Formats: sequence, C-alpha cells, structure tokens
Amino acid sequence: MRITKYVITSSESDILPSDIAMKIYGSKYDVNVKETCFGVVVNGEEEVINALIEEIRSLDPAGIFIKDRGFPPGDPRRCRGRRGGGARPGFYMIEAEAKMLPMISRALAATGEVPAVPEKKKPLMPNKLEDIIKEGLI
Amino acid sequence: MIRIAQLSCGAEYSGIQKEIERAADTVGAKIVYPEVSLDDILNVENKFGVKVASGDLNLAMARAVRIVENPDLADAVIVMTCFRCAEAAIIRSEIRKFIHEHSKIPVLSYSFTERTTAETLLTRMEALVTTVKFRGLLAREKQKGLTAGIDSGSTTTKSVIMRDNEVIGTGWVPTNEVLKSAEDAFEAALKMAGVKKEEVQAVGVTGYGRFLVGKHINAKLIQEEITVNSKGAVFLADAQKGAATVIDIGGMDNKAISVQDGIPGGFTMGGICAGASGRFLELTAKRLGVDITELGKLALKGDYHNVAMNSYCIVFGTQSLVNSLALGCKPEDVAMAACHSVAEQVYEQQLQEVEVKEPVIMVGGTALVEGLPKAMEELLQLKVRVPKYAQYIGAVGAALLVSGLLEG
Amino acid sequence: MAKVIVYPPTSMILSDLVERMGHKALVVSESVRKLATANDIQSPPLNVTPEEPKKGLRYAAVDVPSGVRGRMALIGPLIEEAEAAIVVEDPGWLTGCAGCNRTNELVRLLIRTKGVPLLDLAYPTDDAEARVFVQKIKTFLEALK
Repeated sequence: MRITKYVITSSESDILPSDIAMKIYGSKYDVNVKETCFGVVVNGEEEVINALIEEIRSLDPAGIFIKDRGFPPGDPRRCRGRRGGGARPGFYMIEAEAKMLPMISRALAATGEVPAVPEKKKPLMPNKLEDIIKEGLI
Repeated sequence: MIRIAQLSCGAEYSGIQKEIERAADTVGAKIVYPEVSLDDILNVENKFGVKVASGDLNLAMARAVRIVENPDLADAVIVMTCFRCAEAAIIRSEIRKFIHEHSKIPVLSYSFTERTTAETLLTRMEALVTTVKFRGLLAREKQKGLTAGIDSGSTTTKSVIMRDNEVIGTGWVPTNEVLKSAEDAFEAALKMAGVKKEEVQAVGVTGYGRFLVGKHINAKLIQEEITVNSKGAVFLADAQKGAATVIDIGGMDNKAISVQDGIPGGFTMGGICAGASGRFLELTAKRLGVDITELGKLALKGDYHNVAMNSYCIVFGTQSLVNSLALGCKPEDVAMAACHSVAEQVYEQQLQEVEVKEPVIMVGGTALVEGLPKAMEELLQLKVRVPKYAQYIGAVGAALLVSGLLEG
Repeated sequence: MAKVIVYPPTSMILSDLVERMGHKALVVSESVRKLATANDIQSPPLNVTPEEPKKGLRYAAVDVPSGVRGRMALIGPLIEEAEAAIVVEDPGWLTGCAGCNRTNELVRLLIRTKGVPLLDLAYPTDDAEARVFVQKIKTFLEALK
C-alpha cells in the first residue's frame, strides 16, 4: 500500500526542507517527494516510506517530526490552487503545532532531571476575594 | 465565471461537497475559499464578535471577515452547516447578517443533511448567480411592449399577458401534464387579453417546470422562481425601491426572500414537510367540505386558540385535523388553526434565516387564503401586504423581466 | 507495541512521539487514506459519501448532525481499535477532521469510557512544561511495553 507522510522540521533545526529533499533524491528509495514551506511530503510503498523516514529522522532526531497524511502529495482535491484558494482546513493544525516544535525539540534533546513545573494559578476562592475587598475598603 | 465563496462546516464529512460543487458548476459558478491565516481564526472574536468551540465554524467566520474586508474576493456567498446543529445554526445566521450588514454581496444560507443533492441546491444556486449576473436586468422596474409570463408550479400553472406595464390577461390551471397545463394557462391568458400568440413579443418562464416548458415554447427567459417572484412581488406591491420581504408559501415548498431595490439579498427555500405548505390548506378545505377559495374567509371568523393543531408533519397535522373535528371544534376555528400552523412553521423555520424588513409582501395562491396573511401578521406583529394578482406573481415577474431582453 | 489513539486525532506532535517511542499511533489520516485513495472516487474531496454518516449511526443517533456522524465514521473505528490513549486538552484551534466540537466531545467520551490506559495532558506553553509533557508521554508509553 502506498502511503504519504509529512516530514516537518522545527524552525530551530539546522536541517532545511531542501536538505531533506536532497537526501531523498540521493538515496536508494523510490519515492515521490514534494517540498513545502514547512518540510517535505513523501509518498511511496509503506515499508519503503517507513525505512526512509527513519533515515531522515537521523539527520536531526529531536528536530524532525513525522505526520501521516491521507491524501497523496499535490492531490488536486486538496491543492489550494485547484480548489478555489484557501488552505485546506487541516493545514491550520499543522501550522499551530509547528509553532510548538522548537519547545518539543528542546525537551526531546534535554537530558537530566525534569524540572518541576509550578502549578498553574487558579482563580481566587470567593471568600478570599471577599477578604481582599474588605481590606481594600478599610 | 461567478465566484461563490463557500463558508461552511460539515459539508465534506456529510458527503455533500461534491453536490455543492456540481450545483455551482451547473449554473456556471465556481466555489472559492477566501484565504485566511491561523491568526485570523484565533482572533476571530475581535472582528466578528464571537469565537466558538468548533474550529471549522471559526474558520467560516474568519473567511466572512476576509470577504467583508475584501469584497472583490467573491461575487456571492453560501453559508452552509449541518441541519440540527445548534452551534452552527447560530453562527450560520450571524455570518449571513454580518455579510448582509457589511457588504452588498448576496448570501444564501442553507442547512444540509447527508441527503442533500445538487438538484436540491440548484434553484438556490441559480438564484444566487442570477442576482450577480443579471443585476441590470433585475433592476428593471417597468414592463414594456407585449410580453407573457408562465409560472409552471408544482400544484398550479399560471400565465399572464402584460402590455405597457399592465396585466391584461391571466390564466390559471391545476398542473397535471406540465406542457399541456402550460399551454392551457397561456391560452386562457391570451384569450382574456384578446391577443394572439404570434403577437406576443417574448415569453418568460419560471417555476418547477421551467426548463421543459421554456424549451417547448421557445421562451426568451427561463429563470428560477426566487428572483422572478421577488421581482413580481415588489412590482405588484409597488415596493421596488428600498427593502422588502417576500413570503411565498407554495404548493410544495416555501420561499422567504429579503429584497433590496428589487434584487434578492438573501433567501431561504424549503419546508420540512408538506404540512408547512399550501398542500395542507387544500387538505383542510377538503376535510371541512369547503372550496379552497372559501377557506380563508371562514378562517377569519375563527380563533386558532380553540384547536390544538400542529402541522409540522402533514400526517400528524391531518390527525390533529380529524381529532379536532371529532371533538366538535367549530369549522372556522379549525380553518384558522390550519392557517396559523402553516404560518407558524414558515415563521419558525424560514423567516429566521432572512432579514425581515417592511413591507412584508405575501404572494402565491396561498396569500389569497385570507387567514394565512392574518396569521402571519399576528406572528410578525407587522402589517402584511397581499398585492393584486398575488397568485400570478411568478408569471408577472417573468413577463416583466423578459421585456427587458427585448431592448438592445 | 501498543495501538495508541491520540486526541486530537490529527495531532502531529502526539502521533510523532508515539511512533518514535515504538508504538502505533491511531490517527484519522489512516481512515481518510482508505477513502481518498480508493479506486472508486464517488464523492471528492475526501470521498466521504452519504453512506459514511449512515455508518456513523453506530456511534450517534440519526438526530445528531450529519457532519458529526460522517466524522465518527472515520474516527469511531480507531477508538474501537485503541489499546491506550493520550488526550490533550482542546487547544482552541482544531479544524478539518477535528473541526467539529460536538464530534470532539463524543470522541473524548468514547475514549475515556473505553477503559484503556489513558494519559491526560495539556499542550505545553513553555520549555519547562514541554519537558514535563515529553517526559509524561515517555513514561506512559514505556509502561505499555
């Protein structure tokens, strides 16, 4: 079965989408590649793609991320140029998660003790708020 | 190519996206999606006024904002969401209002199910495209020359002959065989007008049977009933300038159209069941043993409060009808209850989808069932106008519009 | 190797972390691929036909909007297959396959009531939270082995 995967690089990674594309072009794998603004889309037989993405990951294990995709690359049913403009709805989720990738990358690369995260502040209880108001009035 | 911006939620997952695109293609339009950024979606509340839990609705609102800010991006808008989704129903209505208030782009609002087909959408899409494509023709206020209009409706076929802005002949027959009924109605109108078919300079056709009839009689204009009826309504009600609302309760479906300067700005078309159409009034008249032309007068003497009637479904509506008569309810109360029930459904299901602005013009044969406009007045708390020739509205609109094609 | 459903079922970050840690991520693109790459494309773009909302009746009644049932036809079978789950709080920017909140509520409910090992998280907002986020996922997935 042919499958499609996005290969997405963290914006802080030294690896560029073009580096990934070059690596694939120079590899033994028979796959289709399409460069995009956030990475590349690869399409091919499942086992080939799975082997390939392991190699690609090794370029920057903490800075390269993989996402499965239902449509083949450049499919006219999904391509904005062919479908009256506007990104397909799912694009915005990739964009939102891509913004978090530098944080995730740093976390993946980090070693040592995981720091304690201070508990998120919760809204004041009404009785506490009441006390503050009273104090302010006196 | 007319560009229709699709602002929707759920269409692809209901399996009807292809149907939307097929309907657009049939009327020579293309579906487009205005480009927005992730930030536009995240900050939609600042510009639109609200952000909701469903992201695809936020995306639809962000696209609406983009269209209002850049009206050149689309010629018309369709706002479509899943039927029975409350969150989407609120947003669908607000998007329609937002575009209506901030631009001149016509909007079609529709709630779909997985059963929605291109055929269901076609008339609506055709009307939307007409309002964009033939703005000049729709702006016509006077009929010139000798023209005819035929409205091939689902229940009745109507025809008028017009000369120099006056209706000089009318014909009305029940729709049996579509072509034969059209010919009969046309003949009757010609006879009353005292003119020969050959003298008529052009014929315009509308209604369900418009394609068949139009081709058969070589009509110069074949047009869906939304633009044609709204044109006929504002012409006959003398409301061609400014805002107006046209309500057309038909034999099979209903239309609510908000009109600005004679051109539809937003409309809905539909009806959950024949219980919300003229068909139910016919059934009531039959059950009460009165002619449909007498039902309205009878209803005016009655009080709907005295009868429990709900024609949401024609089967249950008929049951209420039978029950109320068995309980000894007065025929006049039953007649008014039937009118109220039909009006209430149109009010609840369709008038919420358009801007109701005065004058409110009721047209179609059902407008002559006096109890119906009265019930609508009570619900809207507004005066309802029923113009002369209300039942010929489609034929008049067609005769008026086709006269515009005689020049140049 | 466990089959782990992630929520949002479209998440790149979650599915990537699951797969790089040796498990199988159950994501909605798999269901989309089955339909969109079929030989017989009846209903572009996704090839979700009116049959899918009917299949969705397995998860939601007929008075539930067609868009919910159509999406459930894609996501429901993944939930059935799941042996574990990672659920992240709704971040407020889910679109497309996860663009309907009624569907998302039902998806979360079905995941939670399935009785498989479950990890609840929120998307990180800074580096410290990201460290905890990754660590919790790592620990959870290691325990599944």
